[in-house]
Amino acid sequence: MSPVEEKVKEIVIKIVRKPELDFTPTTTFKDMNADSLDIVQILVALEDAFDIEIIDEEMKEIANMGEFVAYIERKVAARKAA
Amino acid sequence: MRIAVDAMGGDFAPGEVVKGAVAAAREYGVEIALVGPTATVERELAKWDTDGTRIEIVEAPEYLVEGEHPAYALRQKRQASVAVATRMVKEGKAAAAVSAGPTGGVVASALQFLGTVEGVARPVVGGNFLGFAPSTLVMDLGGNVDCRPEQFLDFAIVGAVYARKFLGIENPTVALLSIGAEEGKGNELVRESYPLFLRSGLNFIGNVEGYDIPLGKANVIICDGFVGNILVKFSEALGKVVSGRLEEKLKGKIPDAELKKITGELVLATNFADARGGGPLLAVDGISCVAHGRCKAEEISRVIGQAKLAVEKDLVGTLKTELADARKRLAISSA
Repeated sequence: MSPVEEKVKEIVIKIVRKPELDFTPTTTFKDMNADSLDIVQILVALEDAFDIEIIDEEMKEIANMGEFVAYIERKVAARKAA
Repeated sequence: MRIAVDAMGGDFAPGEVVKGAVAAAREYGVEIALVGPTATVERELAKWDTDGTRIEIVEAPEYLVEGEHPAYALRQKRQASVAVATRMVKEGKAAAAVSAGPTGGVVASALQFLGTVEGVARPVVGGNFLGFAPSTLVMDLGGNVDCRPEQFLDFAIVGAVYARKFLGIENPTVALLSIGAEEGKGNELVRESYPLFLRSGLNFIGNVEGYDIPLGKANVIICDGFVGNILVKFSEALGKVVSGRLEEKLKGKIPDAELKKITGELVLATNFADARGGGPLLAVDGISCVAHGRCKAEEISRVIGQAKLAVEKDLVGTLKTELADARKRLAISSA
């Protein structure tokens, strides 16, 4: 698991308050019972943690945690390259 | 003490909000920061005599409107008036924030900028909304429309602490709002919450039904914000309709002054906006007050007064201490 994935997992689990969550690439926000406030909290926490900006429109294309982690990794890489 | 007021929140904003804030500055002696588009707020403020008050305008070029998804709208409008007002509390520039904007927006702002006290996932909009049952709190009244069983338990713990500390009820009774008293009655959320409450160590008396609320059958009644908000608004309309009917039927049969007194009391007992106007979100790690969207100046001023009281009574610190104690007691009693 990459450091970014570790951090995403840690933040997601903390905010949805499911320490037992099976965080796999196919897990979805729906599987976690996460509502819109949970998701917004997760996005804000990740933006703060990685100093990135998450675009809500782009989030609409994301289907599961595998895609979500990949998206965050791309954002982190772009920030480092800038 | 400075209180940040979302000048653009509410059905009658900014006019009634600004008027109410001016009245509160005078009545409660607080400093007011009116948060909104400067030119708009200045125009409203110019209509009132502000001599001797301490009122400033804090620029926020955007604001939330009804119909937007509050959590996502806040991400799009990072300079929305409710967000700027709540950030002022976070940054120590204000002791409390007050908004009559969409409840979801106030909750989302509080959650995003202030967070919740340890162990509680979400802010709770709760309180007494019926004058007929002054010792009954209903939680949630609109802040959390979709809930999970563990959130219900959080609401109950917060409610029990609030009832004990602020209403002076030593061992408050707690109930789930359902469509039948028996265990197993209700929707999935209520049925899943029931065993959790049984094990909680709270003074849980089971399910209560809608008609038990005005009868004050429990001190803390738990429902989701979807149901709670409907209850509040239904009650308001019912009180107004019944008092209107009374006026029709009794006019000329009893003295007008007496009739007016009776109907006035009825409206006040059923009308959350007129009686209280709003109050602090509970379990937030800072003071954020939500006012009813229909509030006019008098109620806005009253909610600002409640914000001042919440700061003076150290609502946040008290809830933190009491919640920690309550959780210890619950752990002991459920062990």
